Amino acid sequence: MNGTPEAPEQIIYIVDDDEALRDSLVWLLESNRYRVAQFASAEAFLEAYHADMAGCIVLDVRMPGMSGLELYECLRERHATLPVVFITGHGDVPMAVSVLKKGAVDFIEKPFSDRDMLKLIEQCLATERESRSRVRQDAVVARRLDLLTQREMEVLELIIAGRLNKQIADDLGISIKTVEVHRARVMEKMEANSLAELVQSVMTCEAARGRFVD
Amino acid sequence: MPQDARGGDNADQSSALIPFANPVFIWPEAMAKPTAARAQARTELYWTVPYVAVVVFAVAMLVLVWVLQRQETEIQRNAIARDVQWAEQTMRLHMQGTEEFLTQMARDLAAGSLDLDNFQLRANQHIANNPQLINLVWVEPGEVVRWSAPFDTTDWLAGDVLTSTQTVAFFRAREIGRPAYGDPYVNPRGEAVLELYIPVRHGRRFMGSMVAVYSIDQIVRHLVPSWFSEKYRLALIGPRGDTLAVNSSVQALDESVAYAIALDPPANGLMLRATAFRTVGAIPRALPTIMIIGLSVLMLWSLWLLRTHMRRRVHVEKERDRLFNLSLDILSILSADGTFRRCNPAFERLLGYPAVQMPGRPLLDFVHDDDIVATIEQLRLLGNGQPVSFENRVRCADGRYKWLVWSINPVLDEKLFYAVAHDITGRKATEEALRAESAFRRAMEESVVTGLRAIDLSGRIIYANPAFCRMVGLTADELVGATPPFPYWPEEDIPRCQHNLEITLAGQAPSSGFEMKVLRKSGERLDARFYLSPLIDGSGKQTGWMASVTDITEPKRVRAALEAAHKRFEAVLDGLDSAVFVADARNDEILYANRAFMALHGFDVVGRRARAVTQPQPELGDYRVDPRKLQPADVPMELFDDELRNPLSGHWYHVREQATRWVDGRVVRMGIATDITDRRQMEEMSRQQEERLQRTARLVTMGEMASTLAHELNQPLAAISNYAMGCVKRMESGDYRQDEVLAAMQKASFQAERAGKIIRRIRDFVRKSEPRRTAVPLDEVVDDALGFAEIDARKAAVRVRRDIAPKLPPVYADRIMIEQVLLNLVKNGIDAMGDTPDDCRVLTLSARVVREGLVEVSVADRGHGIRDEDAERLFTPFFTTKAEGMGMGLNICRSIIEFHDGRLWTEANPEGGTVFRFTLPVEIAGERNARSA
Repeated sequence: MNGTPEAPEQIIYIVDDDEALRDSLVWLLESNRYRVAQFASAEAFLEAYHADMAGCIVLDVRMPGMSGLELYECLRERHATLPVVFITGHGDVPMAVSVLKKGAVDFIEKPFSDRDMLKLIEQCLATERESRSRVRQDAVVARRLDLLTQREMEVLELIIAGRLNKQIADDLGISIKTVEVHRARVMEKMEANSLAELVQSVMTCEAARGRFVD
Repeated sequence: MPQDARGGDNADQSSALIPFANPVFIWPEAMAKPTAARAQARTELYWTVPYVAVVVFAVAMLVLVWVLQRQETEIQRNAIARDVQWAEQTMRLHMQGTEEFLTQMARDLAAGSLDLDNFQLRANQHIANNPQLINLVWVEPGEVVRWSAPFDTTDWLAGDVLTSTQTVAFFRAREIGRPAYGDPYVNPRGEAVLELYIPVRHGRRFMGSMVAVYSIDQIVRHLVPSWFSEKYRLALIGPRGDTLAVNSSVQALDESVAYAIALDPPANGLMLRATAFRTVGAIPRALPTIMIIGLSVLMLWSLWLLRTHMRRRVHVEKERDRLFNLSLDILSILSADGTFRRCNPAFERLLGYPAVQMPGRPLLDFVHDDDIVATIEQLRLLGNGQPVSFENRVRCADGRYKWLVWSINPVLDEKLFYAVAHDITGRKATEEALRAESAFRRAMEESVVTGLRAIDLSGRIIYANPAFCRMVGLTADELVGATPPFPYWPEEDIPRCQHNLEITLAGQAPSSGFEMKVLRKSGERLDARFYLSPLIDGSGKQTGWMASVTDITEPKRVRAALEAAHKRFEAVLDGLDSAVFVADARNDEILYANRAFMALHGFDVVGRRARAVTQPQPELGDYRVDPRKLQPADVPMELFDDELRNPLSGHWYHVREQATRWVDGRVVRMGIATDITDRRQMEEMSRQQEERLQRTARLVTMGEMASTLAHELNQPLAAISNYAMGCVKRMESGDYRQDEVLAAMQKASFQAERAGKIIRRIRDFVRKSEPRRTAVPLDEVVDDALGFAEIDARKAAVRVRRDIAPKLPPVYADRIMIEQVLLNLVKNGIDAMGDTPDDCRVLTLSARVVREGLVEVSVADRGHGIRDEDAERLFTPFFTTKAEGMGMGLNICRSIIEFHDGRLWTEANPEGGTVFRFTLPVEIAGERNARSA
């Protein structure tokens, strides 16, 4: 149930105006050993929100004041990556579609079974965990890329493009020896043990991918 | 000079007061007399002193001049004496020198040591040194000239014999043996000469004489220095007083300064006389005297002129003083600071203050408090040099005030104001009285509403008061002087007016007056009544006719209007379909019946008993009050208002009776019966129709309600599930605390109850589909309706305020229907506030008793309100402003409320939005109404 050792603990944020439903949901989730925080309104949650939050949000669609959908829009504007589970009354299909199109959310209709709810939440938490670790890895690669000099970067680009050392030397108008030196330094700086590892680490990095694909 | 004396007397008293010239004022006679004589003497003295002074001065000056001139002459005379003595001495010395020279020659001759040549040499030399000498001669004892010098002389030639004159001196010299001078004489050449004879002796022998011949002229001319001859005329005067020689004769002589001295030698009577030349002319010497005399005369003349002028002036001032003293107006002189300098006796006569005490007191001390500001302003203008004229009130010595008109002229050079004040108290009082009188007369003329018009005996208008002018619309100027036909005679009535005027002038006007048409300037006609009476003047003579004119147009119009109104009133009442009657409240006699009433009950009903003829009519017990006991003070009052059925014809009537006061003051009841049979039938039909419609609507609403409630059920069900599954999970894992699980189970149980309530509400709603009126507590109905609307309200973020009056009596109604109405109105209100700002979304539901037996419920929203054009159609079926509405809601609501004998209507909410109100009867009143229906 717990995340990776270095990751912060995941918390399920429940936002619902109906006290009975909220309280019962807290009870259910705590019974399943999740950590839960509850908010009586969308505004209260927004006030408490910060970027380091990890976990997922369980959100009632219909609330007085700011509705669940509005809160979701708001969070997207803040580039929040927390997955959201919407609780809705009777299936409001067009609304569900519009929200689903926007990204990482799920819907559950009242009355819901505890199994469905727990399954959804577990999925959400896993997604969140994964995306958070990817982000962390991207940051490592990006940091390593920043260490490269201009020439090393050019050499790296050509390596990823699949060029041989000789070809690289021709392309850049330098000697093969020099290319080999650059290549060794790239491997060293990127902390890659093999060519395959180098290419993979660079290509999985969101920030780097844009630079090398075209 | 008696007048002068009088004038002078006043001058010394008034000079302190009157600053200009030498003013002379005359005090009243009584004051002047005791001092008159003394003053007269003093004035005479004043006038004598300058004259005497002038004369004494002139004399003194003359004496002084004379003395000075005398002194000067004396000095001159002394000087001349000294000079003459000096000149005589000079001459004597010269002559003695010649004497000694000749004596020496004589001695030498006698000694024989002198020959002719020697004689000639010495004699010529001597003559050359002494130009006064003409000849030196030796005359022998025989009186014959022997030698003579100079040698070219022609007078004394050798051999000439002495003349007899010469012989006297010759022999006297021989006898006395000493020099002797002969008498001067004129020689043949016309020259005055003097001869000196010196005897020549040798021992006893007489040897002739040496003769020296002097030219007297030369003596005078040459023996004195030139400065002498410039100052004096020197003359030698012979023994007989004849002038022998003078040194000059050109200049004028001052004979007063002359000196004569005997010339010795020759001591023969010759006198040397010097006369000073006149250094200045005679006129300059006399000039001081002439001037002194002239000036004195001039002074005397000017004094005389001055006196004449003074006398004239005194005369004028005396006249002025008389005017000053006799003036009836106050005359006074004020200083620039506003204090009195001098006042005339009129001041005392008018104001009572002694005039002599006035100097030094400020004018403002006497001015009335109300006039002080204006007076100060006038004094300020005076200070600027403007003459002023103004009126003010001045306090008299006895404390009264008098009106004075002041005319004050400033003389800035003297810093004085000359003031004249005239007492206008009397005039003011007269003016005031006159003004009051004329104001009273004018007020009277203008306030009189009766027109007054006077004509003289010829028929000409001589007076018209404002009321008459207003009446005819002409000004008094246009009327006065008009002759018949008068401008206010209507053209068509001129002959009649002329006739009336002739009757009037003949004195035969009827005492009831004439009624005549009057033409206004605007062209409209008035009816007026003219009453005529003779106009008698102060002397009792008739001067014309006075007409008092009354406008009777309005009374005539009112009479006509009343008649017309009566006719209209009858026409209206007779035109009514309703039967109207009026009957005496006590004896039930019909006083009036309209045409419809007569048509129903017969055309002879007036005068009969109402109860006997009218059908249907209320029983006596149904009246609110027994009409027979009503007092005039109680009316008007409604007695009865209901619908009654005529049992014979089966027709329904709306009968309304009211107690009111009849024209003669007695209490009557007025009844109106309207046939409403047709209306009742139509109402019945529409009521049945609406009931059907309402049932349909109820089914529709029930469907919606069920859907809503089902949704509402989700909430507690989900909660229960959560609680239950949470418990299951914990119990499965075995890791739980009993109290936690217990609390969760209890909460689940509460939610189950909540679900139960919702279901019960649905059941109730479905079950009560038929209207069943019972006593319903309104607050419960409101709570139920709000319970249903809660979800919608929450969704729309609307706050619901509940404002139910405490101890509201139960209403007589079908609970479900009223609940539905409320729910409908609440939902409408919530929908209407879709665009309202969140904090204003308030729905207020209130209920209260408005009057006995009637409860009013209102639902107020703060939404968009209802447009006027929509308001009319609001309750018509299938009208809606909502996109998905059916347009049945409000129509059904109204049907339900009207089914309950209530009313449903809308009003604009003063805070914005709309208020729906409906009334419901409370239980008791409603039951009775239901029974009666």
